[in-house]
Amino acid sequence: MKDDYLWDGSGEPDPEVQKLETVLGRYRHNKPAPAFDRLAEIRPVKQRWSFFSLRWSYQLGALAAVVLLAATVFYAVSSRPTGNAGPSWDVARLEGTPRIGWHSFGEKSGPGKLSIGQTLVTDSSSRASITFDETGRVEVDAGSRLRLVANGPGRKWLSLERGTIHATIWAPPGQFVVDTPSAIAVDLGCVYTLHVDDSGAGLLRTTMGWVGFKLNGRESFIPAGAICQTRPKIGPGTPYFEDASAPFREALSRFDFESTTPAERNALLGILLVDARKNDALSLWHLLSRVSDADRPGVYDRLAALSPPPTGVTREGILRLDRPMLDAWWSSFGFGDIYLWRTYERDWSQPPPKAK
Amino acid sequence: MERQAVTAWAATEPREEDSLVSAARDGDRAAFGRLYGRYARMVHGILLARVPPREVDDLVQEVFLLALRQLRGLRDVSRFGAWLGTITRNRANDYFRKSIPDAKATEPVSENQPESRSTNHAAGQEAAVILAVVRGLPEPYREPLILRLVEGMTGPEIAARTGLTHGSVRVNLYRGMQLLREKLGETTKGAS
Repeated sequence: MKDDYLWDGSGEPDPEVQKLETVLGRYRHNKPAPAFDRLAEIRPVKQRWSFFSLRWSYQLGALAAVVLLAATVFYAVSSRPTGNAGPSWDVARLEGTPRIGWHSFGEKSGPGKLSIGQTLVTDSSSRASITFDETGRVEVDAGSRLRLVANGPGRKWLSLERGTIHATIWAPPGQFVVDTPSAIAVDLGCVYTLHVDDSGAGLLRTTMGWVGFKLNGRESFIPAGAICQTRPKIGPGTPYFEDASAPFREALSRFDFESTTPAERNALLGILLVDARKNDALSLWHLLSRVSDADRPGVYDRLAALSPPPTGVTREGILRLDRPMLDAWWSSFGFGDIYLWRTYERDWSQPPPKAK
Repeated sequence: MERQAVTAWAATEPREEDSLVSAARDGDRAAFGRLYGRYARMVHGILLARVPPREVDDLVQEVFLLALRQLRGLRDVSRFGAWLGTITRNRANDYFRKSIPDAKATEPVSENQPESRSTNHAAGQEAAVILAVVRGLPEPYREPLILRLVEGMTGPEIAARTGLTHGSVRVNLYRGMQLLREKLGETTKGAS
């Protein structure tokens, strides 16, 4: 069959596919592997020398230099603010005069450094970007306060106290985290914008990939094109696609964050189920674990009608909130492999490690 | 027309590969070099689906060096391919965030590239046009088609390397090919 040829090169050759292979083959990868094994052999050359083989005048000079160096280091370390140790992030001014602590940097000053414990502040007319080679780049909009909390291997932790950041992250999933007053955003390989207002409420919008939002065991997954709001003391709300209907979005916001009577809650749930489109499986899947046991069958039925559960996922399993079944259903939507979250999820509610 | 070379894919390879990833994670650079040999085309193809061809070779090196530095953080060795794919896509995304003008980013081959200066100018132009059409397809189809048609990987190999299911790769390959035929038909009509 011709289809077999496209699949694995077997069967009757498809002339059109063959032609495309020939024409496009010129772009095929053909570079040899870099010498990774030789990298392993590179070692710093150690010079063989002995302190005692030096002349006494050199020995005295060396001792004096060591004492001077120790005194300088002691002075430098003791005069730095607490928690300011560790590697820093490069900060570049984009507009205005952002500042780190008391240090402002304007048009003529060079790039700054953001160390652990320090806060980058932009006023109403300034913007900045921070970069860390192995992790990603974050642009900080005007009117923001962003603190570097931790910067260990495999764990980069920022705290957005208020304002807006645009993050492009190329670190492996689960390593870049932004804390806000109302939820923790865990990068799962993506580009996103996060905004926090003065009350601590947040809004996350994912442009590419997906982001996990978490607070006190409440999880929300936000794929590209979706939005999720957060509120202090409540945590992340139910994510939704930006093109969902206005009644759907309004009902979701009230359902998540407003204090309502049982009757009002039923009415809101009714709007959500009636107005849900196929893409709104995103929101309905989250609602499964947020509604009461009595309401769950209704949510299941609507979700199953919009996006049937994959093989092995049963109604009974979902109604008892069986996690592997919920995960399998999520992964069937094509919004992102939940394996990434389950693999890289850590207890981000714990305080970050203290800077040494 | 001659049958094109596609990669033979052994079902026993995954187990052997887990050992390679474990060894590389423990600092064995030779093992990492062998992983490069197995995954370079996947990384190259994912990048080619997103960034200008002239940038791809350099970015392939960057992705592997980044992976080498980050490998200790990989918990499940059997997910190496999916993990590497994520790093690659993120690196491609970052390429656009770092100030590459849109027009340059989307052109497959520019006038001053060696490709255009070669004696095989017409073939180079044809390849550039087809690649541009493939890159204009919806994202789910772009990657599998480039891995299959450019890199010569088979469907089972694409699934195994990227961590996707056979079913989704198969569907995307067929639908993508169908769409590509339609688009190429429109291009030919437009040209005539």
